[in-house]
Formats: sequence, structure tokens, C-alpha cells
Amino acid sequence: MLSSEQILDLLRSAFAELFEIDPARVTLDARLGEDLEIDSIDAVDLIERVRRVIGRKVTPEDFRSVRTVGDLVQAIERLAEG
Amino acid sequence: MSTLQVKLLDYYWRLCATAFCFAVFGGCGLVFGLIVFPLMRLLPGSPVAHRRRVRTTFLKVMHWFVNLMRGVGVLTYEFEGAERLGRPGQMVMANHPTLIDVVFLLGFTPQTTCIVKQALYKNVFTRWPVTAAGFVRNTPTFAMIERAAQALREGQSVIIFPEGTRTTPGQALQFQRGAASIAVRAANVITPVFIRCEPTTLTKNMPWYRIPPRRVRITFRVGEDIDPRQFRHAPAPLASRALNEHLKKVFEAELKTGGRPASAGLALETRRAFR
Repeated sequence: MLSSEQILDLLRSAFAELFEIDPARVTLDARLGEDLEIDSIDAVDLIERVRRVIGRKVTPEDFRSVRTVGDLVQAIERLAEG
Repeated sequence: MSTLQVKLLDYYWRLCATAFCFAVFGGCGLVFGLIVFPLMRLLPGSPVAHRRRVRTTFLKVMHWFVNLMRGVGVLTYEFEGAERLGRPGQMVMANHPTLIDVVFLLGFTPQTTCIVKQALYKNVFTRWPVTAAGFVRNTPTFAMIERAAQALREGQSVIIFPEGTRTTPGQALQFQRGAASIAVRAANVITPVFIRCEPTTLTKNMPWYRIPPRRVRITFRVGEDIDPRQFRHAPAPLASRALNEHLKKVFEAELKTGGRPASAGLALETRRAFR
């Protein structure tokens, strides 16, 4: 089972690798669109990465209400449990 | 007749001819969508074989329609390099200066699929044909990217307008990253098609009866292939950004400079129009 901290760390490395975003900017209240400039195409790539990390099928529906990095961490936690 | 009379006659002829073409297009959409394609469905064979037959017919009808538009005098056209369209896993990317350029691309690219806007699935004249031909609906992003990539992996060719909408005359090309993202995932080869339409006609929100002051000349040039593999060493988001920038440069270089000396006159006009 992954802790929230571990998930955040995974996201930081994923953001750095996929989008060249400085890990310091990936905080829980950072907004994906406005602050980190992740667009809908990036989201597709990000979802694929999440799918690989947690090793189960995820769909864009699972991330419908995600706005911030914190939301994303929670969504991944839920998916990893469920 | 005076010059003015000739001009007026020409104008009203083209207005009627334009109306006629729209009517024929709509009629074909209904006849093929509601009668011909469903009847073809009754023929034996797999869904893939069925789609193949529909697309063969589709190509012929589009090609015929293009020549009808030329025949009644609404436009003249040139299509250079069409023999390089329709290869397996090929992504055909074009700018989109006018409503009708897609008809040409579909009339010159055998066995292709096309990424088309959602509205065509609501329009009564187009919904059945685009469904029968198995085109890819442009929404939502995730599903569109998956379906287009899948079509390429199956060896189909895919036509896409990277701008996601019609080109606005006089403005720089705005390429959405969706096309590049699909190409990075699954294209064997990217082939740009440069389209010029002079004078501009049927741009976004332009009604059909606003016809241009003279006969439209529309030219297509199939450009050099671009190998997507050179972008695949980076993770997908970075790769698609790099490819998108590259595509933008390729199109801007071609459409601003006019490409070749033979079309220098047209290029000059285009430059003027783009200022």
C-alpha cells in the first residue's frame, strides 16, 4: 500500500520526467491546469503513467473531478485501494 | 456585353452553381448514408471488408464531387503528389483554409479514416456517411487519441487537421498538440499536405452564399514525409511538443514562402492575404 507521501514523490518524478517540471513546484495545492500547465493531451500521458505505476486499468472518468495535485493524490489512493 | 455585365453574370452563375453543389452534397449524404451504405452492409464479409467497400465508394463519390465543383465553374484545383497518400499507418496532416478542402483530401486518399468534428455526427446530411465510413470523432480527447492511434496501428491512414478547426486567414497557424501526440504514439510516417485557397471562401462561420468575387483556385501539395521516430526518444509529452513545433515550422515555411517559383504569383497573393 502506498502512502500519500509516496504517491506525491512518484508524481514529482513523473512530472519531472514527462513535463520537465521542477519537483519543488509540485505541491498538494498546485493546480494542474493553471499552475503546472498540464493540458488535456498531457493528462492522457499522465493517466497512462498512473496506469503503469499502480498496475490497474484507470479511465479518464476516474480523474474527472481532479483539479489540484492533492486531488490527484487522493484519486490515486482511492484507485490503488479499490 | 460590358465588363460589368460579364462580371455580374459570372457572379450569379457561381452563386447558383454553389447552391447546386451544396444541394448535391446534401443529397449524396442522404442517398448514400440512408440507402447505398446500408444496402452494402447486406453484402457478405467481415466488418473490415464492409468498411473497405464503403470507403472505396466514399473515395469515388468525393472524387466525383470535386470534379463536379470544377465542372460547374465554382473552382479550379491542382493536386500535386496524391499518389503518396493512403499508405498504411500514414498520418496525413493538413492546414484547413476552407470547408471544402476535406472533400478533396477524402477524394484523393484511398481507404483512409479522418478525424472529424462532433458536429458532423449531428448534421443530418453527414452523420450516416461519417458513421458508415468508420471515421474518428474528435471528442473527448482521451478517446479520440486512443481511437486514432488504434487505426494507425491497424495499418489505416488517418487524415487530421492539427489546428482542430479551420485556419483563420491572416493569422499564424495554431496547431493543437493532439495530432502530434497521436503521431508520436502510433504513426509510421507523417505526410504534410499544404493547402492554399485563393480567394478565401467558406472559412469558419462564413455562410455558403457569401461567394468570393472570382472563381476559387485551390491547390494541394503533398510535402516531404516526416519520420516520427526521430521524436520518440523523449517521453510522450515532450516528444509531442517537439514534433508540434517542428510541424508548425514546416507549415509556416511552406505557406509563407509559397514553396516553389512556379507558384510565385499565387504566393505573393497569399502573403498579401496573410498580412
